[in-house]
Amino acid sequence: MIPNPLALIAEITHRCPLHCVYCSNPLELAAVSAELSTEEWIDVFQQSGKLGMLHAHFTGGEPLARPDLTELIAGARAAGLYTNLITSGLGLVETRLQALIEAGLDHIQLSFQDSRENAANWIAGAKAHAHKVELSRIIRRHEIAFTVNLVIHRQNIDHLEEMIAFIEQLAPERMEIAHTQYYGWALKNRAALLPTRVQLDKAMEVVAAAERRLSGRIRVDFVVPDYYAQYPKACMGGWGRRLMLINPSGKVLPCHAAEVIPGLAFENVRKKTLESIWQESPSFQRFRGEEWMPEPCRSCERRTEDFGGCRCQALLLAGDATVTDPACSLAPAHHIVEAALAEANSNAAISQPVSASSFVQLQQGETLWSYRTNPE
Amino acid sequence: MAPPEDSSQPRLAMGCRWGAENKAGNEERMILFPEGAIKLQGTGRQVLERCDGQRTFAQIIAELQAQFGDADPAKIRADISQFLEQLRHKRIVDY
Repeated sequence: MIPNPLALIAEITHRCPLHCVYCSNPLELAAVSAELSTEEWIDVFQQSGKLGMLHAHFTGGEPLARPDLTELIAGARAAGLYTNLITSGLGLVETRLQALIEAGLDHIQLSFQDSRENAANWIAGAKAHAHKVELSRIIRRHEIAFTVNLVIHRQNIDHLEEMIAFIEQLAPERMEIAHTQYYGWALKNRAALLPTRVQLDKAMEVVAAAERRLSGRIRVDFVVPDYYAQYPKACMGGWGRRLMLINPSGKVLPCHAAEVIPGLAFENVRKKTLESIWQESPSFQRFRGEEWMPEPCRSCERRTEDFGGCRCQALLLAGDATVTDPACSLAPAHHIVEAALAEANSNAAISQPVSASSFVQLQQGETLWSYRTNPE
Repeated sequence: MAPPEDSSQPRLAMGCRWGAENKAGNEERMILFPEGAIKLQGTGRQVLERCDGQRTFAQIIAELQAQFGDADPAKIRADISQFLEQLRHKRIVDY
């Protein structure tokens, strides 16, 4: 008997008003016309609750782009799930926030791109920063748990201390300082995003000091950059072990990037129940447990901690989803990560934020990176 | 960060709440929070169920000391204080 999944990641739309260069969404975004309906999502939440899941994480794209978000939150709460909204805040005004809270929203996680307005808008490819600051004040006036998320990378990591002080005055319960994960758009833009070793070491000190200083007031969670780690991350807590991700068109994936893996067919909630997909689908079984593992994972004592790392990263970097994650220092393909690091450390240059009056202008003038676009 | 004082009134932090009651016979209960959940049973559950924002830390200690009369009262106090301090660090409890 396979233990039940613990959380649902509901990617309810791939539409987004932001164009963040570090976005981990797939390069091929799900089309608007293919999105699941309100009723289909509510049925998914019912099934999730019955399966024993505890959390529903609403993400995207920008979940607020769905006009029925309040109904979806209410549906997830009615199914017994803890509801978490992961958002850029664009599309949220006080009346809508009030409605979401009344519908049972437990927690809101608001992303920031920087503490400096010009730099934040440059990274997001949108004039979003001022609205986010204003929205933070509104959120704090309401009875809801509040996390501020900040993705860090080569271009902003040098003023992390300033960014943490900025988040502190927004007064969340929690801040999440997350290194960029190199999937989707972020992988495409990796050269502009991967920090140097010197930058990283400094950032680790800054985070540790902030954690001590803020203890009991703001919880600091830090997502380490796996390229610099000795061992890989336990991606998704292990393939098919804890999480199910449903994309906007109803495809059920074991992880965000799983669609890049050739030869895997993914089931759709329009055709099968979540329970049967969890228990029986070949895609969830493919890398579950230890049977699939190659050496050095198979005989490694860490195999029950990191589960061989990330399958998608193995595919994206080594061209083979069945090998040890190249982020692992023991991986035969680790030289690929070492080469990327060598390139990142070969110079310490960073760029100056570019200001532009429109996204089109910003996009055209840009040689450093590609901005995330929107689905059809 | 300081441990709770006698007059502190511990409560679940914002965004933390109890999950559904289990079926009869199962002593475990969950506390849900933004990025996870913890299972509680036994004394841990008894302490957290008293963190209602009304009872003071001194009252919670006294109730647990009365219930576990054969355990060292000083140890009960120290254990609960440490437990609440750890949960505050994780932003699951406030006091």
